[in-house]
Amino acid sequence: MSEAAELALTDADFAKFRDFFYRKTGIYFEDSKRYFVDKRILDRMRATGHDSFRSYYMFMRFQASGEEFQKLVSLMTVNETYFFREEYQFRCLVGPVLDEVCRHRRPDEVVRIWSIPCSSGEEPYSIAIYLLEYWPRIDEVDVEILASDIDANVLERCRQGIYSKRSVQNLPREILEKYFTPLGQGQYQICEDLRACVDFRQANLNNPAETRFYRGIDVIFCRNLLIYFSDESRRQAADVFYDALNPGGFIFLGHSESMSRISPLFRVRRFPDAIVYQKPK
Amino acid sequence: MGLKKHHPPSSSPSSSQRPVRRDPERNFKGFIAQLDDPNPAVRRWGARDLAAFPEAAPILCRHLAKETDPTVREAVFSSLLRIGTEEAVTGLLPFLRSEDAGLRNGAIEVLQQLPDQTARHIEALLQDQDSDVRIFAIDILQTLAHPDTLGWLEEVLNHEEHVNVLATAVDRLAELTLTPGIKEALARLKQRFANEPYLTFAIDAVLARASVEDSQ
Repeated sequence: MSEAAELALTDADFAKFRDFFYRKTGIYFEDSKRYFVDKRILDRMRATGHDSFRSYYMFMRFQASGEEFQKLVSLMTVNETYFFREEYQFRCLVGPVLDEVCRHRRPDEVVRIWSIPCSSGEEPYSIAIYLLEYWPRIDEVDVEILASDIDANVLERCRQGIYSKRSVQNLPREILEKYFTPLGQGQYQICEDLRACVDFRQANLNNPAETRFYRGIDVIFCRNLLIYFSDESRRQAADVFYDALNPGGFIFLGHSESMSRISPLFRVRRFPDAIVYQKPK
Repeated sequence: MGLKKHHPPSSSPSSSQRPVRRDPERNFKGFIAQLDDPNPAVRRWGARDLAAFPEAAPILCRHLAKETDPTVREAVFSSLLRIGTEEAVTGLLPFLRSEDAGLRNGAIEVLQQLPDQTARHIEALLQDQDSDVRIFAIDILQTLAHPDTLGWLEEVLNHEEHVNVLATAVDRLAELTLTPGIKEALARLKQRFANEPYLTFAIDAVLARASVEDSQ
């Protein structure tokens, strides 16, 4: 029998890992994900030289740097981005969230939305399109969309606005035709008007000098980022968001993320389409 | 009205809604002065900015004792975590005795995330005269990423006399993989406290779970 074939997780090992991972990240693996989880754990056991789950688990669980745990998080999560990803959150934005934001404001006050990390730009452009297509008040209110990422290289790609067929596959055909120009070879470029409507800037959430400018924000989208952070960095990010938001402002996180696990500063708001976190008024 | 167009270059994300200028004295002395400002938002910024100064740890801990606004407290805890020095840890330890649950829990959360610095104090905390402090020390161990955690818990099982402290320790063992030493200590503990039904039930549950793991 080969060394690889000898390594295996028992049901109890899987259950122990599942409980621990859920408590740390909020991600719960159903039994149907067993193969996916086992394979990744076994890969890490081999990479770190552990010949039993027990020794690997203790190593990972008690490693002071948390480095091994973060490696597992990266392996267990699929970070894929595309237009209209988790669309229910955009529905929530153009429904009750913006209704609340605008309720007590003068019509000439700008609504500010911040997308971080913006990655290759699908999220801020999705917000822009959703507002134009589905928010009835877009002609009455000015909206400013800010988008940030730690990686300066992706910001340049964002500004060019060129996307693959896979990236735009969730968009209704009429929206694709309205806002994109086909470039051939399965590539689409978002129209110049929209590109001019998103302000892309480099920002590292862990660098106060780079986030200090972000103030007076009404809505933040920070989806599937905090899960990759250490506890300390998550806490710091929550502080940045709190100080960036206007009172009553909202934060959308990824579906498996919870601000309640990170900071007591925000209220949980349960809307029909999504759970959102709110800075108290 | 509609989507605002971005006109680079501008020095801040919004040229039309430039943030309110903050305290111009942006230095250590200025940030400390901000901690006494009547406006919690200013105190919060002072606390956040002090994260860049390790020497601010004792000042932040002293401020924590009198701060009542939860948003400022949160910023102080975050800054102490970021500073993460021995001084930050020793400054937080007295809050384990606080009657204020918010302060106490905030201190526990920060200590849990500073394993190397906190580890030096665990043995003393586990021998504290106050049983509540010993329980909070075990709470710190719950998520403290330190290789000696199991050894400390084994010591508690072998030497602790207070049933509530022991029950907390047994409860925390539920998610760990038990060493032979811990299993033996649990068996001895069960004999020692045979008249404490909750404790014996908890010990049985932890040992049963370990037995299932061993059999697979």
